[in-house]
Amino acid sequence: MKCHRGQLIIILACLVVYSCTIFEKDFDNPVDFEANEEKGIGAPTLVFYPKTQTKTTSDSVIVGSFIVFNEDSMKHFSGVHLQIIFPDSYLELDTIKPGLFITDTSNSMPLFTYTFDSVNTIDIYAYFLDTLKPDLEGTGHLADLVFNPTSTGSDSVSYQLNACEMIDHEDSVIVLKGDRGAEVIVQ
Amino acid sequence: MKKLPQYFLFLFLGSLYSANLESTFLVLNHFDKFLPNADSSLIENFSNSTFEFDSTFHILFEDIDNHANPASSHMVTIKELGEKYQVNYILFNRIEHIDDRFILNGLLFNTRSGGLIHRRKVDLKQYLNGQINELNMWVGNTVGQVEKKWENNRKSILFSNPEEINYEKTPRGAAIRSLVAPGWGQLYSDKKVSAGVWAGTESTLSLAVLISFLNYDAAAKSYKSNLTLYNETDDEKEVAKYRTNAESDWDDHVRFSALAIAFAGATGTGWVANSIHAWIVGPRPYKNLYQKWNPKSPNTTG
Repeated sequence: MKCHRGQLIIILACLVVYSCTIFEKDFDNPVDFEANEEKGIGAPTLVFYPKTQTKTTSDSVIVGSFIVFNEDSMKHFSGVHLQIIFPDSYLELDTIKPGLFITDTSNSMPLFTYTFDSVNTIDIYAYFLDTLKPDLEGTGHLADLVFNPTSTGSDSVSYQLNACEMIDHEDSVIVLKGDRGAEVIVQ
Repeated sequence: MKKLPQYFLFLFLGSLYSANLESTFLVLNHFDKFLPNADSSLIENFSNSTFEFDSTFHILFEDIDNHANPASSHMVTIKELGEKYQVNYILFNRIEHIDDRFILNGLLFNTRSGGLIHRRKVDLKQYLNGQINELNMWVGNTVGQVEKKWENNRKSILFSNPEEINYEKTPRGAAIRSLVAPGWGQLYSDKKVSAGVWAGTESTLSLAVLISFLNYDAAAKSYKSNLTLYNETDDEKEVAKYRTNAESDWDDHVRFSALAIAFAGATGTGWVANSIHAWIVGPRPYKNLYQKWNPKSPNTTG
């Protein structure tokens, strides 16, 4: 009886202690500049969203390209050049669409074009050409890349940061301080 | 070797003969109060012995202690009585009552030698059928046949052995009750104030644990919900909003978790302390009984 009483007390104590589990503080959205800074990636940052996705071979894989600024150090920009590499072993490029950030601005039609080397490298060029508003500011959606899976596999879509470039309306270069790739898993 | 069967036959017959020998007693009862079942009780309880009763000779033995040698003071008379009544022993029993006590004076004489061979004097507080019981024990002692029920009957007038006393309420009982429900053990010990204090304290602490845990649970669920929303959006404003909310929830769930554990620890410690307290203040027999000092009473110390 004494033994059972002791066990009961231990079980109750464990129940109280373990039922109050402290969850890990896990903020890791690529569009969140704080999360990027916590990982040592400075802003402005080129990122993909979502950071990871799992699809089947019959699905389309959509990867969004984003520019992320720190709220305290915003810079105006007018044009970007993104060089993106994707795993061609199981993905093929379907299409590339301009992002909301550079298309939903009223009366501002951007110049948006891309080149594909037919292997695994995509170069996207976007210029903001409005006459009233010379440039853009803040975090935003630059482009959507649509891929078709050709087989199963697991790899990353990534930026070639040294080939990427961001300029303001005076053609001054805005230094890109970091980038984050995105994992694509096709099952 | 040829004499061995004869030896065993002699031994067997000797044993048979001795077993058939009965103790025969002339019982001389002198009681200052009438005891209705005294004679019949001896006959019923000692069926192996034969009793003759005669109460006319008691005067002879009242001065026995005045003789230089009480054991041989009435040898001639005893022998004569033995021959007259054809008995082995003469048993003289005298019972006197003084207030709530009685004194049994028993003398056993052997008629063959005429001497006093056994004597018993008991001075006891009266108890139920005590005189008959003591008479049975005295005679039973002389014939080697004392029944347990007579001994137990006598024990009824004695104080119990402290180790054998079973108290209705014990400190352990109080401790166990308080371990089940704080304050119950104190209430069981008639300590109503401390029972209320313990019950109130433990109830408050338990309520605090419950409230803290419910707040923790709500904060944890809200954190997980906001974290999911945070991960599922690519809108920078929503990301910032959900992150702020999730961080606030995370801080809350840590704070309430710490509070719940602290309160649970205090509740558990208090619970055990309450049980120990119940044991300490638990019901115990009084070892010292004091009478209140009466200053008007005369000083007897000189």
